[in-house]
Amino acid sequence: MDKVMSNKKIIALYVLPALLLILAVVYIPIILTGYYGLTEWNGIGSPDFVGFENYAALLKDSAFWSSAWHALLLAIFSALSLIIYLAVAMVLASKIKGANLFRKIYLIPMLLSSVAIAQLWLRIYHPTNGILNSVLESFGVENTPEWLADPNLVLFAIFIPILWQYAGFYILIYYAALKNIPASLEEAAKIDGANALQIAWKIKLPLAMEVIKVTIVLAVVGSLKYFDLIYVMTNGGPNGASEVMASYMYKEAFKSYDFGYGSAIGFFLLLICLVATWIIRKLTATKDTIQYS
Amino acid sequence: MMSVSASQMHNGKAGSGKSTALKLGYILLYVVLIAVAVFQLFPLVWLLFFSLKNNQEVFNLPPLSLPTDPKWENYTKVWEAGNIGVYFLNSVWITLAATALTVVIASLVTFAITRMKWKASSLVLGLFMLAMMIPVHSTLIPLFSMFNKVHLIDNPLSLILTYVAFNMPITIMILLGFYYALPKEVEEASVIDGCSVNRMFFRIVFPMTSSVLATTAIINIIYNWNEFIFVNTFISSDTLKTLTVGVQNFIGQYTTDWGAIGATLMISILPILIAFLFLSDRIVEGIAAGSVKG
Amino acid sequence: MFKKKWTTLLLTASLAFAVAGCGNNGGNANEGAANDGANESGNKVTVNFMHLWPEGVSAGQNKIVNQIISDYQNENPNVTIKQEVLDNEQYKNKLKVLSASNQLPDVGVTWAAGFMQPYVEGNLFTPVDDLLSGELNGKFVAGTTEAYAMNGKTYALPLEFNIAPVYYNKAIFEKFNLEIPQTYDQFKTVVKTLSDNGVAPIALGNKDRWTGSLWYMYLADRIAGQDTLAKAIKGEASFTDAGLVQAAQEVQALVDGNAFVKGFNGLSNEEAKSEFINGNAAMYLMGTWELPNWTTNEDIPQEFRDSVGFFKFPTVDGGKGNIDSWVGGPGVGLFVSENSKVKDEAKKFVEYFVTKWGEQSVTGAGVIPATKVDTSAIELPQLYIDLFTEMNKASSITLFADVQMKADAAETHLNQIQSLFGKASTPDSFAKEHDAAIKAGK
Repeated sequence: MDKVMSNKKIIALYVLPALLLILAVVYIPIILTGYYGLTEWNGIGSPDFVGFENYAALLKDSAFWSSAWHALLLAIFSALSLIIYLAVAMVLASKIKGANLFRKIYLIPMLLSSVAIAQLWLRIYHPTNGILNSVLESFGVENTPEWLADPNLVLFAIFIPILWQYAGFYILIYYAALKNIPASLEEAAKIDGANALQIAWKIKLPLAMEVIKVTIVLAVVGSLKYFDLIYVMTNGGPNGASEVMASYMYKEAFKSYDFGYGSAIGFFLLLICLVATWIIRKLTATKDTIQYS
Repeated sequence: MMSVSASQMHNGKAGSGKSTALKLGYILLYVVLIAVAVFQLFPLVWLLFFSLKNNQEVFNLPPLSLPTDPKWENYTKVWEAGNIGVYFLNSVWITLAATALTVVIASLVTFAITRMKWKASSLVLGLFMLAMMIPVHSTLIPLFSMFNKVHLIDNPLSLILTYVAFNMPITIMILLGFYYALPKEVEEASVIDGCSVNRMFFRIVFPMTSSVLATTAIINIIYNWNEFIFVNTFISSDTLKTLTVGVQNFIGQYTTDWGAIGATLMISILPILIAFLFLSDRIVEGIAAGSVKG
Repeated sequence: MFKKKWTTLLLTASLAFAVAGCGNNGGNANEGAANDGANESGNKVTVNFMHLWPEGVSAGQNKIVNQIISDYQNENPNVTIKQEVLDNEQYKNKLKVLSASNQLPDVGVTWAAGFMQPYVEGNLFTPVDDLLSGELNGKFVAGTTEAYAMNGKTYALPLEFNIAPVYYNKAIFEKFNLEIPQTYDQFKTVVKTLSDNGVAPIALGNKDRWTGSLWYMYLADRIAGQDTLAKAIKGEASFTDAGLVQAAQEVQALVDGNAFVKGFNGLSNEEAKSEFINGNAAMYLMGTWELPNWTTNEDIPQEFRDSVGFFKFPTVDGGKGNIDSWVGGPGVGLFVSENSKVKDEAKKFVEYFVTKWGEQSVTGAGVIPATKVDTSAIELPQLYIDLFTEMNKASSITLFADVQMKADAAETHLNQIQSLFGKASTPDSFAKEHDAAIKAGK
């Protein structure tokens, strides 16, 4: 058994194509980003090596730290919303009538591109004729909030479409994971007299645990390097109140012509993701992997 | 398979009502489910209405109202301006090629990492996971100069390679959770049966993961279909560009034609909607552990 | 059944490889042809031209571009002009990526001053002074090519020329018996009247930031004078000048007086413009590039277009500014790449393009070109003629601050503008941040 499963040739055959591709297409940029981060470079001509100057500046850059804080908040919110997504997926994966139709409808928004989602939510948040403020006005609210212009509100206002944008993604993964649990297990539990909640908590959740751990990492890493809707909907503003690390990096590199500094932010972001992943793996580590019995 | 139908019957009985409390609970559940469904369908309806408005109506009318004379000409405008047919075909084949490659290659890697025994497996997994953490914009300049050196600029291969490489880590991550949960008996049974590893993977494991394959395929298709940064950077010939570029056709130096953008988005959502409906039905009941042996 | 599924997948994958292979060959073949052309100059030549006028929305410009290219190709059968069209944002990104790999197109679009500075310093643009002394000599509106000059050489030829008046809705002004304000005090009264009557006085989309910058610039120009503002932007004077600080204070006073539409700091210029067009806001400070929307654009109700007028930014009592001093300047221009293999052909094309653009862009696209226009020879809406007259009377034109400044300082300026309008920055810190950023020289 072990001999068959440690056949070097097969392992190489399975892993090398992907590994070579990743090394060529992703690792060269990562290494170059790391190098550019040590230079002063406006993207034209040859970079000037400056050592850790960019990183020293980065540590003192309050705009960067506030963007990092915003990204961290987003990561926490994203990780927390996984609970809701899991609950929804459990309902959809259960055998209630119409579950199949509901699932399809629930996942439709994930097909929309960021351009469409941004336009939709800009209409929702519009200060005078947006859906949200129109509803509030009909309830008699007088000073309706300026969702995307108020520095105290903008961050949370922008989190909602981001969380909504990814809901379908996680629900889909959870749904597949729950469907993957053999029905016989649930049957057996039912015969033993377990109710739906007990089945969910004692059987489904533990068996989907590996998938859940993975999604936590995906949600946190995805949030830390999040860019799309923020850039389109608020451009990080007003006054940097909704800036995140990736949008800050983009501005430094592509708007301020400071490609060296931008690369340093990019590389630092990668390190933060790495640390976050390590922490998550430590926190969610279990002694042994649960197997079907 | 028997067990599935049995459980449906079982649930059917529960639904037909034991106690009123249970019934009330179900009604409440359906009210919530339907409310959320309406909310989730709303963007599609909104987009349809959006695509039938002109700029004034887009900004002035409430989002969920139809203009007095719907601007169907937005669709004709989109269809006539630029090479939308060519973009469309490019989008389809590049998306399909990149998705198929990613899913197959990632499955092989995940299988090797989770089921086979070798020393460097966790290191290699780490390499794939690290690849997920780099922000896209950091990679544009290095990737361009790299593809430029190997003469792959303005060549669809640069897009396919990039899509496969950038979606590989997330695909592997998703597959990982499922492969860990695969019962051990799978290998044991096949090894006893004298299967080779290749046979075991392709005949037994790969089909067993059809649910997660469909899931990752959906995710890959959506990502590839909507991608535009790499297309804009690596492709310069109009005949090689993809549908996302169609949106750009309506963003001018000083004005933007929102209605036409809406129509482009509406046209471009149809193929992935079909792909999604088709693939999401492939997410099916897992095979019971015991059935492998038989 | 499972076997079948797998076979289909494999087939798809191999098919994908095959198709990718085809694409590969196609791509290389094209590239080969282009290179051959470049090498045998005089024979077949391909000039790559990257611009930002897509067919869908900049229909007028796009048509002119295609007309000029086809005319040029007819007159020069050995030359092929290969276009690549991107939208504004993507265009700027791609230019950046291309320049990092030294792969700029032969001819492309650039913005003036601060935007082009890194490209010029990196020797990526070639001087086009020879064109200025040739056929185009004396054709440009005075002051337009200077924005593209650096160290005594001109690195691009401007295509557009814009100034920014305050557009206003005559119908709203009539309704409240308002007169065009001549002085800033009168202007403030207008704002107050409108605001008291529940009409948003000014449409402003300050998410884009340069829009708010226009207001600050005019106030600075009218209070501190054109000279002081220009010097401060160049770094020769300080933004802590009393007049410049007062301008920043006036901006915040306008905000306090509810002069701008609700939520302006979160609105894009696009959204703000629609507030003006919908008649929800009475005034809109914007460049002359909007003129087609007020005159010929059929999508906008005739009734609204007929009621758009403009006035010059009013003077401030005791201020050093002059009412004929404008904020504006050339928009985009054409550059020729220093490393182009077909530099001579590219320059010839640029010369031809600028000339033809000047002849066709006003009538064809409603764009005011940087080359002189003989208004008597063409039929134009009155609004154009009035603004042409104003342009000719202009005592000075101050280039948009974010265009003038170097990239990093421009970003600081724009961020500070948003902070000033959002009252997250005081007029004093606004001034200090500017001085620091400009002094840093990046």
